[in-house]
Amino acid sequence: MAEHPQKPANLIKWFDPRNKSLGSWAFILNRITGLGLTVYLFLHLIMLGQLARGPEAYDGFIALVKNPIFLAGELLVIAAALIHGLNGIRIGITSFGIAGGKQKQLFIGLMTVAVIAIVYFAIRMFTH
Amino acid sequence: MTQTWTVTYEIFRKKGNQASHYDRFEMKVDPDEYVLDGIERIWAFNDRSLVFSHACHHSTCGACGMLVNGVEKLTCITPIRSVTKDGGVIRVEPMRNFPVISDLSVDMTVFYQRMESVGHQPVVSNGFEDSKGKFDPEDDLLRLSDCIECGLCISACPIALTTPAYLGPAVLAGAQQSGDLNPCVLDLVDSENGAWRCHSAYECTEVCPSHVDPAWRIMDLRKKLVSRRIKKFFGIK
Amino acid sequence: MRDGFDVTPRSGEGAGLWFLKILTGFLVIVVLIIHLIVNHLIVEGGLLTYTDVVRYYQNPIIPIMEIAFLILVVTHALMGLRSVLLDLHPSNKVLRLINYGLVVLGLGSIAYGIWLVLVIVGRG
Ligand code: HEM
Ligand code: SF4
Ligand code: FES
Repeated sequence: MAEHPQKPANLIKWFDPRNKSLGSWAFILNRITGLGLTVYLFLHLIMLGQLARGPEAYDGFIALVKNPIFLAGELLVIAAALIHGLNGIRIGITSFGIAGGKQKQLFIGLMTVAVIAIVYFAIRMFTH
Repeated sequence: MTQTWTVTYEIFRKKGNQASHYDRFEMKVDPDEYVLDGIERIWAFNDRSLVFSHACHHSTCGACGMLVNGVEKLTCITPIRSVTKDGGVIRVEPMRNFPVISDLSVDMTVFYQRMESVGHQPVVSNGFEDSKGKFDPEDDLLRLSDCIECGLCISACPIALTTPAYLGPAVLAGAQQSGDLNPCVLDLVDSENGAWRCHSAYECTEVCPSHVDPAWRIMDLRKKLVSRRIKKFFGIK
Repeated sequence: MRDGFDVTPRSGEGAGLWFLKILTGFLVIVVLIIHLIVNHLIVEGGLLTYTDVVRYYQNPIIPIMEIAFLILVVTHALMGLRSVLLDLHPSNKVLRLINYGLVVLGLGSIAYGIWLVLVIVGRG
């Protein structure tokens, strides 16, 4: 008989939003930001190891991080955390039967908060 | 007043182990005809080897689910007007996440078996209010339950893309709806491949042609499973 | 999988781990908000130099909060990673390797983080 078409390599299609609705955007964003933040977490822990190597190493590291490229990267992390965290609230509460029928409105509302917060952080970071 | 449109059907073809391809058929249609009507005419007048499934023609049997221009549709109730324009293309493909038997026809055996084993009843008492699960056993009038087992939700689910082990929206919704969470059903739904696998993309609810709202039902099932576990933990029956 | 009834018990993501994933996610937000408030509203001038950081860590609330944050984030991130991997339906053998790898990675990074916090506190 015919084979099941599912295979692990189909994971590429997780991230294909064509012909999909809003919920898929939420799923895709949550997955990408979740994985991105996980990579960042471990990089961050490694970088903080500079603290153990004393004042010169750490302050040198901070000077490096202050250039615009690193600031932009840092903003990306803040944006990812906001999107992922706020979307996480949507997943959490709908999973317990709260606002299940209103997940789209919830998503749009939470993402509006995320965008406002991202813009706020961007202005703050680049004008200080 | 009938209109006439010229549309091109682009139909997925696959036989046995041969490589798949698309056949194009240009034809005149009335835009208020359904996508399935066009497919039937292609079969009747152009290519008798075209394989597709359908039966009732009025959204009851659930056999005619296909991918129309990339979106899951019950083709017997999808007007051509709603998926293309005059001079446009209608690309018809078999549903995703099911084995293709031939052309547009897929093998839904496993899915039907799962529906049965979670206790989904195709025919329910009239007192059974489908949308939020009220049930009146005294009522002897019967009606068809909302879920017509078309499989569109499973085809649309991103999580069902990577493994056939995930039970899928309709099956979890079926368990929620039947309400009888006996140990056999729990084994299936309170597991890695059951209710806890869902990642809230809500595509199932988006494509369901029958107002089952499977995503809502999965969330409600989770609530039921969690409260069962809490009660069990505190020794409440 | 032909029969579609794969219920072999294994350490997949059941109710407990799923719940922990949601719960740690929620707690991460709570601690993150506290962290931001402490960091930006209570500490004046920010934490930009080594000396600032060391001084900041002298208040015992800070290392406790940072360690809690570390444990929650690492747990949540690795469990999230695991549920992505589980969507690929690894065989039991591969799943055992994944479990082992994630536990080692998790405990390793928590131990490393705590060590780092203690080093900073000790420099005060
Ligand atoms: C800020 C608070 C956070 C909240 C409320 C939160 C919430 C959640 C929730 C509810 C899920 C489950 C998604 C699902 O099952 O579909 C999840 C997944 C995940 N989270 Fe978080 N999270 C937060 C922060 C983080 C951080 C800081 C990281 C990484 C360091 C992270 C990494 C992940 C990963 C890798 C996943 C799996 C992605 C997926 O299932 O698609 N999360 N998060
Ligand atoms: S839940 Fe809806 S989409 Fe899924 S099989 Fe039933 S009727 Fe079809
Ligand atoms: S042919 Fe029966 S549902 Fe479409």
